[in-house]
Amino acid sequence: MSISLAQHHHPQGIDGHIHQAPTSFVRKYVFSIDHKIIGIQYFVTTGIFMAIAGLLAEVIRTQLLSPNAQFVSPDTFNEAFSVHGSAMVWLVIIPMLTGAFGNFVMPLQIGARDVAFPWLNMASFWMFPPAGLLLFGSFVIGAPQAGWTEYPPISGPQYGPPGTTMWCMAIFLVGVSSTLTGINFLVTMYKMRAPGMTFTRMPLFVWAQMATAILSMIATTALAGALLALFLERVFGIPFYDPARGGSPILWQHMFWFYSHPAVYIMILPAFGIISEIFPTFARKPIFGYKAIAFSSMAIALLSFMVWAHHMFTSGLSPSIEVAFMLLTMVIAVPTGIKIFSWVMTLFGGKIHFTTAMLFAIGFIITFLCGGLTGIYLAAVPVDLHLHGTYFIVAHLHYVLFGGSVMGIFAGLYYWWPKMTGRMMNETLGKWHFALLFTAFNLTFMPMHFLGIMGMPRRVSFYVNDPWFIFWNELASIASYAMAGSFLIFLYNALSSLKSGALAGPNPWGARTLEWQIPSPPHYYNFKNIPAVYSAPYEFDKPLPYGNLQDELDDSKVPPQLLHGHGEHAHAGAH
Amino acid sequence: MDTSLIEHLIAIVGGVVVGGSAVVALKNDWSATGLDGNVTKIMLGLMAFGCLLAILAAFGVLGNPISKGGA
Amino acid sequence: MAVHVAAHGADEVDHLYAETADLRLTGFVLFLISDVVLFSSFIFAYLYLRHSVPQWPWPPGTAPLDTAFAAVNSVVLFGSGATMHFALENWKHGNRSKWFGWLIATIILGSMFLGGQAYEYSHIQATWGGSIFGASFFTLTGMHGFHVFCGVIYLIILGLQTSQNVYTRQKYFGLVAGTLYWHFVDVIWVALFFLFYLL
Repeated sequence: MSISLAQHHHPQGIDGHIHQAPTSFVRKYVFSIDHKIIGIQYFVTTGIFMAIAGLLAEVIRTQLLSPNAQFVSPDTFNEAFSVHGSAMVWLVIIPMLTGAFGNFVMPLQIGARDVAFPWLNMASFWMFPPAGLLLFGSFVIGAPQAGWTEYPPISGPQYGPPGTTMWCMAIFLVGVSSTLTGINFLVTMYKMRAPGMTFTRMPLFVWAQMATAILSMIATTALAGALLALFLERVFGIPFYDPARGGSPILWQHMFWFYSHPAVYIMILPAFGIISEIFPTFARKPIFGYKAIAFSSMAIALLSFMVWAHHMFTSGLSPSIEVAFMLLTMVIAVPTGIKIFSWVMTLFGGKIHFTTAMLFAIGFIITFLCGGLTGIYLAAVPVDLHLHGTYFIVAHLHYVLFGGSVMGIFAGLYYWWPKMTGRMMNETLGKWHFALLFTAFNLTFMPMHFLGIMGMPRRVSFYVNDPWFIFWNELASIASYAMAGSFLIFLYNALSSLKSGALAGPNPWGARTLEWQIPSPPHYYNFKNIPAVYSAPYEFDKPLPYGNLQDELDDSKVPPQLLHGHGEHAHAGAH
Repeated sequence: MDTSLIEHLIAIVGGVVVGGSAVVALKNDWSATGLDGNVTKIMLGLMAFGCLLAILAAFGVLGNPISKGGA
Repeated sequence: MAVHVAAHGADEVDHLYAETADLRLTGFVLFLISDVVLFSSFIFAYLYLRHSVPQWPWPPGTAPLDTAFAAVNSVVLFGSGATMHFALENWKHGNRSKWFGWLIATIILGSMFLGGQAYEYSHIQATWGGSIFGASFFTLTGMHGFHVFCGVIYLIILGLQTSQNVYTRQKYFGLVAGTLYWHFVDVIWVALFFLFYLL
């Protein structure tokens, strides 16, 4: 397909459409509309929230060190796991994978100067810290105690702690932020790709973000409905879930899980995208099955709306409905399996560079696969009837969310750190981080499978005084402290890299996607000239498939309209 | 004339007038292209459908038995 | 949304405007789709709750809704959709005075709809918190009424903006957005009218 250099129909235009660079500290770093700064703001904020939610996890594990510990009261224990789960899902994993990684990397990978609606992007970010304050602030008046799933009647007006209303407001706010980001990203990826970048020439990280943005946009509003109804019931007594007045707690479960199942795919698809970028780069091989991976992302997004009731197998649904959901849940494993197969085949015959990013990516395959397999067991209704509400589920969810999403997050952090900061991380420290984290993670969560099968229920602050229960719980708790310690290695590595890490240069990994063809960190305008794209990026044996990039690394060649900006334009950012 | 009869008449006449103009507008815009053109066509079509529902309701074909006057 | 006309040549601004208007249109349609999902989740809740009791309205003895009145109110709202369509058509053809006329008709009809809803609310036997009947009816129609109210405000703003020449015959995305939003509010009502009054 020939590239028309008459780029008049392209939102960037040949001459580009550049904002003036901001000058004041507040406009540059606080209320920035630059997607890169906003991405970093998301990273920092989600990092802080992750630390708090992680401490809550250590409260849980410390209480469970012995069968009848008095470390915290049962109510405090309930608050700990409820806020831990809610924060990790809504304040850490989703914003980090979409708001942080999506914001920083996606516009660079499509050759754009920013997202479609930069002011909306900033507004989306600034809704997010207040949501965190609302959620963590709920401890002051009594945090929610019914888990991150907050089933009525425990979350309802009669039994729910006062902080449950704050929880509703916090999650609603973060949901609005997420929906607006999804819309913003979708329009960006649909309309602002560089000339020549057809859908099948997009990097796979962009495909993943596109599938995720569709889910964010459509599923999150369904959650907003459920939260609004719970809020109305708690605050104004409007009966949706109260059986005495005709309502139904099962209704909450349907409304909640209709969003929350797609939400788990929001939490994993970007991580899949990160792995798809890392494997070809560090195996020096084209990705195996580009179209399979791209289209399976869309298939997963579509199917994710059809499986929600597999979280409700013990709630009294009719068996025929349960069978239907069981079969659909097993079907959704197929596109995921296709991806894993493609990634492994990418490695096969490649020349593998075991950088820290690659180690985390390979670790991801192992631990996510484990979580995915237990998911298939749980899809079978007879199995789930026994394992629902036990530690088997806790094990499964942490293998996919930590062993999947968080491993993917670390892989992406080590991979894109040089691009974001212009500095290299220390590889030795990174490998120690990986080794400690991978070992400690498996020692923490593998025992939970056994505990679940032995019948240990989740969300309870004590357990049976049985030698094996004690052994596995102690092992899990001690290993969890090691996991927490491994985060400190990462933190030290990050801070010392920022202070005195080796300068990175534009492309330390020899990667082929567009973000690696410009300086590290990129200039505020991203590209001096919008590139032209001739093919998909992963053909390592061929030259780079881009045009118009000859001046990117030469700072004496800044085109005049970038020096002056379009300063005479009195541009409101929302142009 | 009781209110019920007036309501029926307004519903039927209004439905025909509004639905009719929606259909005419749809016919005129049939060849429009682009996102806003197509979305407008969908909206006009649904609006005409809504008017049809109102007419059928007024004739008692659809819906619960219509109560007399205000509730 | 105001568009500041820059000091540059008309051509360059026009092509930039055309590109960004395209982005904004796509973004706005996606926003409307997400708003449809919000209503859909409450519609699901309504249908689920209705299906779980043996008769409707609930509890037994609650008076049914006034379909005739609602049919009239619906026609009023649909009429406002038609007038809005005509308003935009006239703007596109450069007839400012007809644009204003049809816009004002839309605002009047929209306000009449809201008045009709207020009348309906005051005459219904159920209360918002009394039972699932009131809960689903008032929440859904209330959410819709709120959307209509915001729409009326938006249309008034558009009228003021056009009187201050913010938009031109070439650059009028704000008017397109307003018209699409008004049609969306109309279409949601088609669903609600059917679900509450005709089912």
